[in-house]
Amino acid sequence: MTDAAPHLIVRNVSKRFGATTVLDRVDLTIRRGELVTLLGPSGCGKTTLLRAIAGLAQPDAGQVELAGREITRVPPHRRNVGVVFQNYALFPHLTVAGNVAFGLKVRGRPKAEIDAEVERALALVKLAHLAKRRISALSGGQQQRVALARAIAVGPDVLLFDEALSALDRKLREEMQVELRRLLQELRATAIFVTHDQDEALTMSDRVAVMNRGRIEQLAGPRELYSRPASLFALNFVGLSTRIAGTVVGSRDGKVQVDTKVGRLAAIGTFQTGSPVVVAARPEHLRPTATPDANAVSGRVRSVVFQGSRTLVDVDAGAGESLLAELSGRDAAMPRAGQDIRLAWPIAETFAFPAEPHP
Amino acid sequence: MTDVAISAPSPAASADRERLSAIGFALPSFLILACVFALPLALLLGVSVIGPDGLTLTHYRRLLGTPYYLGVIWNSLRLGLLTTLITFAVSYPASFALARARGAVRSILLATLFLPLAASVIVKAFAWTILLRSDGVVNQFLMAIGVIEDPIRMIFTETALVVGSVNIFLPFMILPIFAVVAQLDPRLPEAAATLGASPLVTFFRVIVPLTLPGIIAGVALVFSLSVSAYVVPTLLIGEKYPTLSTTIAKAYLLAREPGFGAAAGVVLLAIAILVVALSARLAREQA
Repeated sequence: MTDAAPHLIVRNVSKRFGATTVLDRVDLTIRRGELVTLLGPSGCGKTTLLRAIAGLAQPDAGQVELAGREITRVPPHRRNVGVVFQNYALFPHLTVAGNVAFGLKVRGRPKAEIDAEVERALALVKLAHLAKRRISALSGGQQQRVALARAIAVGPDVLLFDEALSALDRKLREEMQVELRRLLQELRATAIFVTHDQDEALTMSDRVAVMNRGRIEQLAGPRELYSRPASLFALNFVGLSTRIAGTVVGSRDGKVQVDTKVGRLAAIGTFQTGSPVVVAARPEHLRPTATPDANAVSGRVRSVVFQGSRTLVDVDAGAGESLLAELSGRDAAMPRAGQDIRLAWPIAETFAFPAEPHP
Repeated sequence: MTDVAISAPSPAASADRERLSAIGFALPSFLILACVFALPLALLLGVSVIGPDGLTLTHYRRLLGTPYYLGVIWNSLRLGLLTTLITFAVSYPASFALARARGAVRSILLATLFLPLAASVIVKAFAWTILLRSDGVVNQFLMAIGVIEDPIRMIFTETALVVGSVNIFLPFMILPIFAVVAQLDPRLPEAAATLGASPLVTFFRVIVPLTLPGIIAGVALVFSLSVSAYVVPTLLIGEKYPTLSTTIAKAYLLAREPGFGAAAGVVLLAIAILVVALSARLAREQA
């Protein structure tokens, strides 16, 4: 479904607001038909990057290319992009159909074509029956769909979503994520989502760019991002994890031995002896049964949180360190708070990251 | 509202109660308006059509049938239209500047707009006569910088009238427009741009329609104020530019013709209502 040729290229783009560097030499290449999420905390530069692609922010340095055209200095109205804004930014003085028709009207398309396109776009988002409604008479979810229909009606080269789902309540948001992904795949649209919601990023995208302090820390598929985070920041931002600080005492064959306050642990990674590191593992790998080639740590169960299909067990390992295990309902005896427990996890699923000054 | 919903579960009953309380809230202002506005208005209408021999349209015939009084009506209309037009042209961009200004700058700009409202119209009109007279500040300045050699006549011209009128009624245009412009979502022009609208197209298809309610309110206010202005034309242009307002005053105070004065008042009112109603209709079509 995706062509190999690059469709959108962001090359070495930087942007400063006063003394703050919002984008720091960002590179990003997206293929036609690809769905990519820019994920990161507020202030990481993801919205500015999206605005630079839309033409609403002018980069201080670097280039943007879209569909084979250099557009760095092209004003937004000549870019052929579709943007779905956070609060939708629908025109309150126009009807639903009027909003969807706006982009076609300003392009001077013939009326019959506009009507057909509006009908098609509204049918795609299942709002054909509300075409004559005023915007103020719509629910948040319906407004979201109008914003989407308005953006796709013009046949943009790329669709940009700026926290587009964040105003919806949780259940509706989750439904929209799945529906939107299917719709965009049907349309073979190239899309970029900006979000701080990791679930949204994992659900919606072919690839996720984790952004931190104006840089892309990791660009990978959701699965790889989760199971092989490239940095401590990426690990923290996506999914839960156990993290234990320590010092490297030995390194061999891509594995390190790390001394921590809860004992010696082994992890994947290459570090010089003496380096301060953080050893981490995803909660689903921690098991109350010992296995060979495993790290094991003892502690006392602090809390057990039932979440339906899974149960999260928080274990106090002493010396200020904790373990987080995710057990499924099939795991035999569920531990109880206050109970002593020994948790083990495979070395192959243990990462080591350079210790960073920030959490 | 909450109380109503809790005590009256039936939606029809609560709607009734809401309507009742709405009437209750409106009652005091309704009574005051009825006494000080509707009643005198009815009297005015009555006086304008009642002559010594019963009902008569003499006064209206005189007003609408003599070239002199048609000229008077035209003067009033002209003053109202010129003032409204120029005030709007100045106020629309000013409202955007005001909405964009932040902190101290906005406070200072708003203060310069509001403070003159505290001064009486007479004081402001007199101030203009002092500025514009032959040995006034404006003439002295123009002579000092060598633009003119002899003082030019400014006071008692239509220019002086319109300049003063625009100055005095400016806040009534800026404030309603500013109120709407300040509410404008900055994402809307951005959305329009990403949809392919140039700045000019965005202005006419998004910004103007969305600020229209403020424009209409400002136009209605300034027109009805300037078309019926009395102090401003009296002080800034005087006898040679008779308006409906000055005609009414003369009819009551000098000529002792209350019937004719009343008829002129009704015509003035009709013009003002016509413009306001037209504006309201435009607004409804847009809303």
